[in-house]
Amino acid sequence: MNPPLNRRHFLCSATAGSLLFPGIVQQLLAESADPLAPKMPHFPAKAKNVIFLFMTGGVSHVDSFDPKPELVKGHGKEIKADHPEIKGRPGYERIYLKRPQWDFAKHGQCGMEVSTLFPHIAGCVDDIALIRSMHTSHSNHYNATLGMHTGSFAQSRPSIGSWVTYGLGTPNRNLPGFVVIAPKQTYAGTQVFASDFLPGAYQGTLVVPGAEPIANVAPRLPAGRQQLELAALRQMNAEHLATRAGDPLLAARMQTFETAFGMQMAVPDAFDFKQEADATLASYGLKRGQTTGFGWQCLAARRLVERGVRFVELIDTGSSGNWDAHGDMMTHVPLAKNVDQPIAALLRDLKQRGLLEDTLVVWTTEFGRTPFNNTADAKGREHHPWAFSSWLAGAGVKPGMVHGATDEIGLRASVDPVHVRDFHATILHLMGFDHEKLTFRHAGLDFRLTGVEESHIVKEVLA
Amino acid sequence: MLLCLKVAAQDHAFFESKVRPLLVEHCYECHSGEKTKGGLALDTKQGWEKGGDTGPAILPGKPDESLLIKAVRYHDKDFAMPPLKKGGKLPEQAVADLVTWVKMGAPDPRVAAAKIAGMKADEAKAWWAFQPLPKPDASKTIDDFIDVSLAKAKLMPAGPADPRTLIRRMSYDLTGLPPSAEEAEAFATDLIRHPNSAIQNLMDRLLASPQYGVQWGRHWLDVVRYADTAGENTDRPLMHAWRYRNWVFDAFNRDLRYDDFVRMQLAGDLLFNQSESKQRAEGIVATGYLAIARRFGHDIDKDMHLTFEDVIDTLGKNFLGLTTGCARCHDHKYDPITAADYYALYGIFSSTRFAFPGCEPKGQPRDMVPLIPQAEVDALMKPWQAKNAKLEAEKTKQLQANKAAEQVIANLGGSSSKVVFESKVAEGASVPFEYRVRVRRGEVVQLAVLPNANHGADSTLIEWRIAETDGMKRAWSVAELVPELMKGNPYPANDGAMWCFLETTTAPVFLSDQRQSINGNSDLKSWSLGSEPSVFVNSADQQVMVWTTLAAESFFVHPGPKRNVAIAWMSPLEGEVALTGRVADAHPSGGDGVAFQLKHIAVPQYGPALAELGANLKPTVMPEPMPVIPVAYAVVDTKAQNARFHQRGDPEKLGDEVPRRWLSILGGEPVPAGSGSGRKQLGDWIASSPLAARIMVNRIWEWHFGKGLVRSSNDFGARGEKPTHPKLLDWLAAKFVETGFSVKAMHRLILSSQVYQRASDLPSAVDPDNRLLAHFPRRRLTAEEMRDSLLNASGQLDLTPAGAHPFPAEATWKFSQHGPFNAIYEMNKRSACLMVQRQRRHPFLSLFDGADPNATTAARQTTTVPTQALYFINDPFFHAQADALANRLMSLADDDARITSAWRILFQRQPTAAETQRTKSFLANYPASNADKWTAQLRVLMASNEFLHID
Repeated sequence: MNPPLNRRHFLCSATAGSLLFPGIVQQLLAESADPLAPKMPHFPAKAKNVIFLFMTGGVSHVDSFDPKPELVKGHGKEIKADHPEIKGRPGYERIYLKRPQWDFAKHGQCGMEVSTLFPHIAGCVDDIALIRSMHTSHSNHYNATLGMHTGSFAQSRPSIGSWVTYGLGTPNRNLPGFVVIAPKQTYAGTQVFASDFLPGAYQGTLVVPGAEPIANVAPRLPAGRQQLELAALRQMNAEHLATRAGDPLLAARMQTFETAFGMQMAVPDAFDFKQEADATLASYGLKRGQTTGFGWQCLAARRLVERGVRFVELIDTGSSGNWDAHGDMMTHVPLAKNVDQPIAALLRDLKQRGLLEDTLVVWTTEFGRTPFNNTADAKGREHHPWAFSSWLAGAGVKPGMVHGATDEIGLRASVDPVHVRDFHATILHLMGFDHEKLTFRHAGLDFRLTGVEESHIVKEVLA
Repeated sequence: MLLCLKVAAQDHAFFESKVRPLLVEHCYECHSGEKTKGGLALDTKQGWEKGGDTGPAILPGKPDESLLIKAVRYHDKDFAMPPLKKGGKLPEQAVADLVTWVKMGAPDPRVAAAKIAGMKADEAKAWWAFQPLPKPDASKTIDDFIDVSLAKAKLMPAGPADPRTLIRRMSYDLTGLPPSAEEAEAFATDLIRHPNSAIQNLMDRLLASPQYGVQWGRHWLDVVRYADTAGENTDRPLMHAWRYRNWVFDAFNRDLRYDDFVRMQLAGDLLFNQSESKQRAEGIVATGYLAIARRFGHDIDKDMHLTFEDVIDTLGKNFLGLTTGCARCHDHKYDPITAADYYALYGIFSSTRFAFPGCEPKGQPRDMVPLIPQAEVDALMKPWQAKNAKLEAEKTKQLQANKAAEQVIANLGGSSSKVVFESKVAEGASVPFEYRVRVRRGEVVQLAVLPNANHGADSTLIEWRIAETDGMKRAWSVAELVPELMKGNPYPANDGAMWCFLETTTAPVFLSDQRQSINGNSDLKSWSLGSEPSVFVNSADQQVMVWTTLAAESFFVHPGPKRNVAIAWMSPLEGEVALTGRVADAHPSGGDGVAFQLKHIAVPQYGPALAELGANLKPTVMPEPMPVIPVAYAVVDTKAQNARFHQRGDPEKLGDEVPRRWLSILGGEPVPAGSGSGRKQLGDWIASSPLAARIMVNRIWEWHFGKGLVRSSNDFGARGEKPTHPKLLDWLAAKFVETGFSVKAMHRLILSSQVYQRASDLPSAVDPDNRLLAHFPRRRLTAEEMRDSLLNASGQLDLTPAGAHPFPAEATWKFSQHGPFNAIYEMNKRSACLMVQRQRRHPFLSLFDGADPNATTAARQTTTVPTQALYFINDPFFHAQADALANRLMSLADDDARITSAWRILFQRQPTAAETQRTKSFLANYPASNADKWTAQLRVLMASNEFLHID
C-alpha cells in the first residue's frame, strides 16, 4: 500500500518539477506535449497580460467619450447618410440629428473630455489613451461582436485571447491561460472566446460568476478521499506508462491530473476575496461576500492577472438588456453605473500594485450609435459601425492622450481612422507580436488575427 | 528590316536601363508576384495589359490615357501612386521616363510563364494529384509498399500486436465501441487455432454491425461540418437535418458505392426523379449535404454568397482536396483554380434552392423538400385545406356581419370613457395597479394591453381582481377564468357579471377563434383572432415551457403588432369597486415590453350591447393542426442561371457572367444547356475525377492510422503535403475504383495488412513523426468514443438509432439575435448523435476536441489540458457512470468476483495478482460504505489511461 499523497506533494509537483517523471519524460513534456508552456513573443514588450473589457450592445460614443458641440447645435437638423442601418428601412426615409443627452467636461491633467455617464472613469483619464476614431465593418451585433473578438465578421475564427495565449503560453499552470468572465453570453455565443482552428488548449475558459465559476472545479468528494483516488490513479497510470516506454501522450495526461488537483484550490482561491481589505472591496463597490456584479468581475480580473493568467476578458452583460439603446438612451445610465466605478477601481488598483506596468487594459464595444434618428426627439439611437470610441491603458500605452477624431457630428471617423483590425494589430504589438507573423497554418494557409486586409499599428498610442 | 531590329534593341535598352529599375524599386512591393494590390500586377507585360480593378494600366502609345501615367503624375489625390506612405510622388525624371516609354509603345520583354491561377500551366497539368490512376498491380500488397520505405530508412518494424490489443483497436476503429471480454477471449483463442481466418471473421462481424455506420458516418459528418443548427445570428435548430445524418450512417452500413455516395449528396433529388418513392426520398435526404451549409447574418437571403462560399470551400476540401474557397476574391494564389472556376461553380449553387431554416426577420422556415410525391401530399393536404377554407369563410362572414354593431358600441362608449390608469411595461418588468371607481350596472371596466412603440407584441401576464368595497363585498378575478376559459366569450361570471375578450384597436371585436390546445398542450387554451391578438391561459398546476415560460395557473394576453387586446368586465352592481392587479411582461427578451390602459366606460347601455353582440357570435373552432408531411432539409433545382463575377469577392460589384462548368484544370466541361443547375453533372465530374478516389482512400487510411498518407488530407494542392507513400496511395485509389468504390473493401485490405496489425510504440529518432509506420500509433479515444465507453461500462448505452432532436416546436420559435437558440440535450444514445450547435459548442465535445461544426474537420486534434482532468475528477455524468457500474457489480458475490468483472468490462482482460491485491487494499483503506468504496475504485479505473487509450 502506498501512502496517500498530500496536498503539498501535489502542488509541488504541479508547479515545480514533477516528482513523477524521470528527466527524459519531463523534457519530452516540456518540448512537445505542453501547448501552454510559456513562450517569448517576437520582440520584448512591456505588456505581459491583457484585461479586455467588452461592453455588449454598442455604447453610444457621442454620449460618452466623444463630445460633439455641433451635434448639440444642430439638433433636429435633417441630414442625409447612406447608412447601412437605415437603407430601405420604412420610416427612415428622412433622418435628423439628435443631441447627446449627457454633458461633457474636461478631466485630469490631460484635459480629456468625458461625459457625465462615466464620472469615475473620467477620474482616470491621465492613464488612458482614448481612440475616438474607431470604426468597424458590420452593423449587426453578431457580426460586429465576432469581428471585435476574432477579426472575422462572418466565419468563425480564433479569438484574440486564443491568439495571445497561443503566442505566449501561460506561466501559471494551476489556472487557465485565457479566462472569460461573463454573467451571460454575448452575441455570437462561445465563438467570441473559441480557439477555432487553433488547438483546443487556447480556448477561453468561461467563468460564470457564482458558486462554481469553472465547470467541474468544485470537488465533489472530501479532500482525503479524492487524494486516495488520485494516488491510486497515479499508480495505475504509472504502471501502464512503464510498459509503454514513457509515451509523452500518456505522461502528459497524467500530469494534467496533478494540475487539475491544484486547480481545485487555485481557482477558488483566485475567486475568494476574503483576504481583500475593506477599502479595496469598497473601491470596487463590492459588499463583503458578494459574488456577482461587474465589480466582482473586475476584482477577479486583477486577482487572475496577479496569478499569471495571460488574458482575462470581462463581458458586462448578455445579448439582451444591454447597451443596445434603440428605445431609450436612458438605458445607458444603469449600464454605465454598473461598470464605471469598478473599471476606475480596477485601473487604480492595478496601478497601485504596480500591475499596470505589465498589464494592458482594453475597453471597447462592438460599434457606436447613430448621431441621428428618424425623428429629432426619438429617444434612442441605432447601430453605428462608422464611428465609436475605445480606449487602452497600462503597459506600453501612452497615457492621457486622445487619438483620432470623428467629424463634427460624430458620423464618420474622419481623422486617423482606426479599424478593428488596426486595433488588434496594436494590441498584439503591445504584447510583443508582429501581427503579420503571429500565424497558424490551417487548410494550407497561414491565418492571422488581422486577416488578409491591410492593417496598421496605431503608433501614436504607444508610450 | 534592319532598322526595325535596331529600334527594337533601343527600346529594349530603354526599358532595361530606365523602366525596369524604376518599376522594381517603386512598384513591385505591392504589384508583383503574389502581391497584386487592386488586382494589378506590374511584373509582367500581361499584368499591365490586363490591368487591375479599374482596367488596363497602360494603353501603349497613349500616355495621357494610361491609368499608370495618370497615377504617377499625381494629379488626382485619390488616384495617385506610389502612395505617400510608400515614398510618394516619383521624381520628375522618372515620370518623364515612364511617359517616354509608354509613348514608345511600352515595349516590355517580361513575358509571364503561362499560368493557371497560382500554378504554372505545365506544372498544373503535371500535378501529381490530378494524374489518372494507374492500373493496380495485382501482385502487390500494402506491406510491399510500406516495407520498401522502412528498409530504405533501415527501420525495424514493430512486431504484431497481441490479440487483446488488436481486437480493442479493431473494435474501436470500426464501431467506436470496445469489445466485450467474451469477444476478446474468443478472438484470442480463434487467433491461435485459426490464424488465417480469425482476423477475417472479426472484421466480418464488426463490419456487419450497424454501429459501424455510426462510427464511420461520424467521420464523414466531421468532414462535411455537420451541425444541427443553421449558424445564422439566432442559430436556429434544423428540425430535419437528422435525416441526412442517419442517411450517412446507413450509406456506410450498406457500403453504398463511394461514387454514388458523392453523386447523391450533390444531386440525389435529380437522380431518382422517376424512381419508386423510397429511393426518391433517399435521394432527396442525401442532398442534406448541401442544405446543411452554414447560414450567415441577420437576413440569411442577403448573405447567401457566404453560404455558397461555404459550400464551394467545403466541397473543394472534402471531395477534391482543393481549397476552392480561396478563389472567391481572386485567382487561387498557389493552385490552378481561377476565380472564374469559383463563379462557374457558384452558378450551379445559385441555381439551386436551399431549404430555408428561418432567421430573425423571416421567422418561418420554408422550402423543406417533401419526401412523398405531390399526389400523396395533395391527398393529405386538400381535405384539410378545404375544411380550413370553409372555417375561414364563415369567420369572415361573421366578422363582416358584426361590423355595424361594433361601430355602434364604439360610438356608445365614445365620450363617456375615462382612463383610470395607463403605463408602459418595460421588457421583463411588472407594473402593479390599485384604483377605486364607482360603477353603475351595465357599465364596463376594461383593461387593454397595447403593443409598445413599433416593436410589436409580447406575451403578457395579467392579474386583475375587481372587488366591491362595501355592501355584499362580491369579487371577481381573471384567475377564475383560468380553469374554464373555453366556457365562452362573452364569459358568464358569477353574480351576473360578464367578461369579454376583445380586440379594441378601433371598435370592440370579439376574439372568436377558439383553441382547445396550443402546441399540442391542452393545458393551454386561447381565444384569438388569427394567431394574435389573443387571451390565453395555462391551466396546468405547473409552469409550461413554450416560446417562454408560462407560470402555472395563470392568465395571459398577447397583443398583435399594432393590435390591442382587452379584457372587459361588465358590472352587475351599482357602487364602488376596487381594481387591483398587475401587468407583467411574460416573455423577457422577446421584444420591447408592452403598454396597458385601464379604462372605465361609464355608459350603462355599453355592457348589454356587448352582451348582445357576443350572444350572436358563433365561436370558430380552429381546425386541427396541419397534417404532418415528412420533409427533409434538402435542396432542389430552381431557375438555372449563370452567376456573375463578384469583383474582389464583393457581391455588390458584379462583373461578367461566368458559364456554369467544371473546374478548368480538371477538364472544364460546360453544363449542357437545358440540364438544370448542373448539380447532376457536378456529381459525375467529381465522382469520376481521380482526385475523388485519392482523397477518399487517403481519408480511410487517416481514420485507421490517425494520419493520412497525405497528411494534409483536405489539401492536395501546392500548399498541401506530398504523400509519404505516393505509390501506395495511387495503388489504393486504383484498388478502390476496381472494387467498385467499396469502402468496406478498403477496410478489409487495410486491416489485413501487417502494418495495421503492428504493436504500438514510440517513434524513433530516425522517423519522429512515424511517417514510415514502423509501428501503430497509440491514440486517445475521441470525445464520442469516450462518452460511449463510459455509458457502455455503466450498462446504459442505448444502441438503438437516434432520430430527431427534441427541439421546441417551430410554432413557438421567437429566436432573435438577442435571444438565440441555446440548448443541450442529454441522451444515452450514441454520442455521434449529440445535438451540435454552430454558435455554442457542446461543452463535452468542445472539451475533448470534438469536430468543428463550422468548418470541415479532416482529423480530430488531441489536446491534453487540465480542464479535461477536472472532468474525470468531478463531472456529475462521469460520477453517475461509475455509480451505475458499481451497482452492477454489487450484485456479485464478493470483491474477487467484482475485481475480475470490473477488469473484464473495462479492459477486456483479467486483473494481475498485483492489481487484485492493490484494489483490495484500496477498498480496505477507503473510508466509505462498501458500495461507495467500489464507486471510488471504478472512478479510478474509468479515469485511467488504459481505459481511454487504444494501443
